[in-house]
Amino acid sequence: MSAQLIDPQEILERRILVIDDEEANVLLLRNILQREGYTDVHCLTQSSKALQSYIDLQPHLVLLDLMMPEVDGFQLLEAFSRHDAADEFRPVLVLTADTTIQARRKALSLGAKDFVAKPFDVIEVGLRISNLLETGLLYERLRTSNAAY
Amino acid sequence: MSKGSTRFWTDRPLAFKGLVVVALPLAVLLGALVSLYLASSAETRAEDDVRRAFAIQRDVYQIQALLAEAEAGVRGYALTREDRFLAPYHTAEEDLPATLARLDEAIEDETVRPRFVELLQVTQAKRDGLEATIALVQASDSFGQNRIETALTTNRLALDAVRQEIENIQELEGIVLDRRRALVDDVRTRFLTLTAVSALIGLLGSFAAVYLFSTGIVRRVSKLEGDAELLARGERLETPPEEADELGRLAQGLARASALLRKREDDLRASEERFRLVIEQVRDYGIFALDPQGIVTSWNLGAERIKGWRTEEILGEHFSKFYPADTRDFLPEEMLERARVEGTAEDEGWRERKDGTRFWANVVITALRAENGELQGFAKVTRDMSERRRSEEDLRLAREEAVAANLAKSEFLSRTSHELRTPLNAILGFGQLLEIDEEDFTQPHRDAIHQIAKAGRHLLALINDLLNISSIEAGAEEVDIEAVNIADLLEEVRDLVDPVVRAARLSFEIDLPPSGTIAQADKRRTTQVILNLVSNAAKYNSTGSFVRLGAQDSGENVTIFVEDDGPGVDPANRPRLFTAFDRLGQQKHSQNEGTGLGLALSKSLVESMGGDLGYAPLSPGARFSFTLSRTSASRNVEQAAE
Repeated sequence: MSAQLIDPQEILERRILVIDDEEANVLLLRNILQREGYTDVHCLTQSSKALQSYIDLQPHLVLLDLMMPEVDGFQLLEAFSRHDAADEFRPVLVLTADTTIQARRKALSLGAKDFVAKPFDVIEVGLRISNLLETGLLYERLRTSNAAY
Repeated sequence: MSKGSTRFWTDRPLAFKGLVVVALPLAVLLGALVSLYLASSAETRAEDDVRRAFAIQRDVYQIQALLAEAEAGVRGYALTREDRFLAPYHTAEEDLPATLARLDEAIEDETVRPRFVELLQVTQAKRDGLEATIALVQASDSFGQNRIETALTTNRLALDAVRQEIENIQELEGIVLDRRRALVDDVRTRFLTLTAVSALIGLLGSFAAVYLFSTGIVRRVSKLEGDAELLARGERLETPPEEADELGRLAQGLARASALLRKREDDLRASEERFRLVIEQVRDYGIFALDPQGIVTSWNLGAERIKGWRTEEILGEHFSKFYPADTRDFLPEEMLERARVEGTAEDEGWRERKDGTRFWANVVITALRAENGELQGFAKVTRDMSERRRSEEDLRLAREEAVAANLAKSEFLSRTSHELRTPLNAILGFGQLLEIDEEDFTQPHRDAIHQIAKAGRHLLALINDLLNISSIEAGAEEVDIEAVNIADLLEEVRDLVDPVVRAARLSFEIDLPPSGTIAQADKRRTTQVILNLVSNAAKYNSTGSFVRLGAQDSGENVTIFVEDDGPGVDPANRPRLFTAFDRLGQQKHSQNEGTGLGLALSKSLVESMGGDLGYAPLSPGARFSFTLSRTSASRNVEQAAE
């Protein structure tokens, strides 16, 4: 049904921001995203620059690591939600090696839309990414059509 | 009054006494009245007697007069023969019977009575004589003059006899009259005397009543008044005599009250003395008194022990001496002020001993006030809390350390998890990508890629198990104990393990307990343990034909077991069965993958639920079993408290 609503090409053109301090993981994610066919992918290993990039790029999806030196993922989650307008839908997918229930609960309560434990399954992560982007697009359409009335 | 009669009198009730005091004069008065009445009626009777005597004399004279006139008339008739001279005779004949009858009734005196009988006879004789004379005169005409003369003479003689008798009677009646007159005088005298005596007795009776009232009531009431005053002053009362009336009982009541008060006073004094001695001897508390200005006025053994000053050294000193220099200027005054206003002031802080050393003290100051509210001083109780403060401090530190250690443990687990998984993510991720692209590679490369992926997954399993054990042992994960229906649980697990057992070409058998079998367990952990044990059995049963899962209700516990008919565990290896990373040489057999942590993890899981995991050999085969409590055991409570 969604295939009819949303053109797959439209999903692949969405802007994605990857934030992870581990070079190898960034590479892995870039690789996965390129293979899927995403065209607008931005990667970042320095979390201190993340908020600025977030503001500059206005990404449609953020892939976020939690445990990072300097500014960690929880702080970024808080900063993002402070920055965003209330009706903005800009989902964050948390990818973390911290599998404790406390980390999971905290991330979701701070506004993360999904949570995947590392090491993750490559195919599963690809599916979750496209799902979140599709939801974002549907949300935008709904908002536009509401505004038209 | 004699002693016995006094006693009798005082023992009567007040109502009786009142009755006696009122009735006695009344009775005396009544007696006097009765005697007066009797005296007056005696006088009346005596006067009646006198009057009767006079009447007798008069009647006697009348008889004489009537007879004399009758004779004179008869004489005249005899001389003249004229009937008119007979009138007096007829009058006499007519009146005499009545007069004589009156006399007969009136004369009672014994001496006069015979004379009266005589008088009756002579009177009758006279009347007969007169009648005969009249008859003679009527019969004789002129011839019988002599006989008439004779009759007349006889008549005169008879009249003389009558006269003589009357004189006799008169004389006797005179005597009677005199006697009676004397009696009247006598009665009158006695009456006067009696009246005087009655008045006197009445007066005496009143005096007696007043005396009785005084001895029986007034005097004793005023004594009671005095006793009550003594009682009010708190003085001891003398034991009163045993008197049975109300006043006596009141006096005894007062005496008892006095005795009771005295006993209470004595008891109080004794208890105060004991209390003082106790306070003096108390060693663990410094108890001492301050005057309103804060000067020490008493000191006990405990105070000496805690603060170091001896009684004679500290009496008269101001209590601010006990405070260290940094609080001495304000805290003592502040404490007294608080005690003055609020009644009591409590403080915990440093105090100084005589030798200058400090101790941690708990101090309570209580204001002592008289009944009128006037401040009399303060009582101060000091306790040396140094020991307790130290142990509290130790306890707090230990607790903080434990909390920090726990936090550190959790932090360590979280960090380790992250540190180990992060590199694995890249390895496994790229490995997976390479596997997806494997057609691009030659066979040797493909093998290498598979080896990398396989080794990576093994490493991940290892890390997961290890972190699992650690987090269970650290208590980092919550144990969710609830009542679990074991039959239902085994049914659910069957669907998970059946494929595993079949994959190992073995048959899966299940031995369900009665459907209502309940155990206290964490459902997820129990499932994990069963999965582990069944996987192991399937993995290592290379020679047998089945794996059996079952549960038994053994009273207090439910036992869940997994059996197989494989080679079992080599007896030499049994001690190391539950040791982590020990694969008991299985690593040589490449077909049996494993981390060597499965049984160690299962054991930790079972123990976290308060159960026990054990092994028993079968012939052939192996039996692993673990117990779960049927009732909420104390272990659960302990865990909840942690």
